[in-house]
Amino acid sequence: MILLRSAALSIRMLLRSRVRATLAILGVAVAVFVLCAERAVHSGITEATAANERDTRLIVYRANRFCPFTSRLPERYADEIASMPGVRSAIPTRIVVSNCRASLDVVVFRGVRTDDAARAIAERVRLVDGSMPAFLSRSDAALVGQALAARRGLKVGDRFQSAGITVTVAGIVDADGPQDRNACLVQLPFLQSAAGGAQGGEVTQVEVEVADPSRVREVASAIDARFASDRAPTTTRAEKDFVARAAADLVAIANFAGWLGLAALVAVFALVANAIVLSLEHRTRELAMLQSIGFPSRILAWGIVVESAAIALAGGAIGACAASLTLALGRFSLGAEGVLVEFRPSAATAAAAIALALLVGIAAGLVPALSAARKTIVEGLRDA
Amino acid sequence: MKREAGSHDGAQAFIRLASVTKVYRRGDTEIVPLRELDLEIARGSFVSLMGPSGSGKSTLLNLLAGIDRATSGELLIDGRDLARLTRDELAAWRARSVGIIFQSYNLVPVLTAYENVELPLLLHDLSRRERHERTMAALETVSLVDRSSHFPRQLSGGQEQRVAIARAIVANPPLLLADEPTGDLDRASADMVLGLLERLNREHGRTVVMVTHDPLASARAGLQLHLDKGTLIDAVEGAGGARKP
Repeated sequence: MILLRSAALSIRMLLRSRVRATLAILGVAVAVFVLCAERAVHSGITEATAANERDTRLIVYRANRFCPFTSRLPERYADEIASMPGVRSAIPTRIVVSNCRASLDVVVFRGVRTDDAARAIAERVRLVDGSMPAFLSRSDAALVGQALAARRGLKVGDRFQSAGITVTVAGIVDADGPQDRNACLVQLPFLQSAAGGAQGGEVTQVEVEVADPSRVREVASAIDARFASDRAPTTTRAEKDFVARAAADLVAIANFAGWLGLAALVAVFALVANAIVLSLEHRTRELAMLQSIGFPSRILAWGIVVESAAIALAGGAIGACAASLTLALGRFSLGAEGVLVEFRPSAATAAAAIALALLVGIAAGLVPALSAARKTIVEGLRDA
Repeated sequence: MKREAGSHDGAQAFIRLASVTKVYRRGDTEIVPLRELDLEIARGSFVSLMGPSGSGKSTLLNLLAGIDRATSGELLIDGRDLARLTRDELAAWRARSVGIIFQSYNLVPVLTAYENVELPLLLHDLSRRERHERTMAALETVSLVDRSSHFPRQLSGGQEQRVAIARAIVANPPLLLADEPTGDLDRASADMVLGLLERLNREHGRTVVMVTHDPLASARAGLQLHLDKGTLIDAVEGAGGARKP
């Protein structure tokens, strides 16, 4: 009971010290915001690049090419691949991106044949608004990924332009993968003509579904062997491996951002410790008085730790909520070389960040709490 | 030199010091603020401690309050030997048995007068309602019910000290210790505070030990004890009272 009353007293005293409390909580909130953003990038990278044994998708790219602008494959490759053993489907895809460099708002046009689009709708994406007939009825129609639509504020019927290409939104689609959630699916002939250049009959890549996940490597080798002596030799990789290589720069940035996450935790520690130490410096006499009227030193130490935990918890909750809200509303994705990595906020990430901030906050309060508790009452009354 | 203050024949002393010495070191220097002090104070006394700076009166008050420990000797309050109590037991004893009034009030600035007075009760097993009743009663005693929601910065020095007195008496301790309670107050406020201490002593039977430099304040006590260089040199009964042998 005394612990509860003492905790309530500490929190009441903290709330009454508004400037100190607000500044400390704000500092922690900013640090936790950075931590959550870093974790969201990390989570997006993991989702886009972490392979698992159930993956069945391959990307066939022009050998020794690393950019959608330079990878050109004959469209007929898709039909030849589709007839190979172990292949379930092969979709020739033309990729046009609004920005080839790393950017937070890349529009990726994916041109596919209309029959492939229907298959894609069935297998990879879910139509959440609009209709397939609307998509098939006009050549400039587009099925826009939900994340891209949210980011750009697009709805069915809207027209929008990017990379010099103007399309009409015929539907909004959701998908399990970040590439589909952020792309703009259009008809292949339209994109081949709208993108300019003599690129009719050419695609950027072929997206292959393998029937048996255990044969992914075997099929990839077979595809590359098949076209090794053709006019456009290929390199075939599992989709997530392809994304990891294409987005190598992003992965490097994300790895560096991991240090930012660590720095954010150190900042939480420093901010809370600083707030508590500064506060205690001005409250030496107050603590001595509390001891003199009978508060045991362990209860005082507990009260100080509660205070540091409250700062960390409040700052952590505000920072995590603000980060989750910002990332959810912004639907940010980082694009490079036509592949996209989403910032993936999640309740688990937010909860983990809050818990980490709380733990760090408690640790930050422990030393000053023990130090204050060890001080004798006479010293405390004399020091003020 | 042994002094017995305010005790009646045959009555057991409420406070008893036997050969109490306090020594502490500051760097290489050994300081002895109290030396072989013998003293008995009866229950219900109002005693003032006077003496020049460094005479040991504040050290004595700290020992009586259980916030410092004697280096040697025996200190019993209401029959309890403080030297035998652990740190936590001493804290619990302070919460039950002693109320301390400081010169500079030592109120918590972010708590209201009511919350400051309620502080000692948080350590007792009392319901919210019981705490409220006792806090309001203490504020009533010091005539500050109408200031209960005020913060210390909104109170005068005299009112702050009265809040501190209410805090000291709210847990109903038998012993009140005051360290220069009127040192920062004007004469009118000091009179009011001294009157309050007198009333708590006379009407409520609290034993009051007050350190002061002010002869007028000291004269309000039933017995004035004079210390010098850590020893008791004189004891005079209050306001023109007879000198004790």
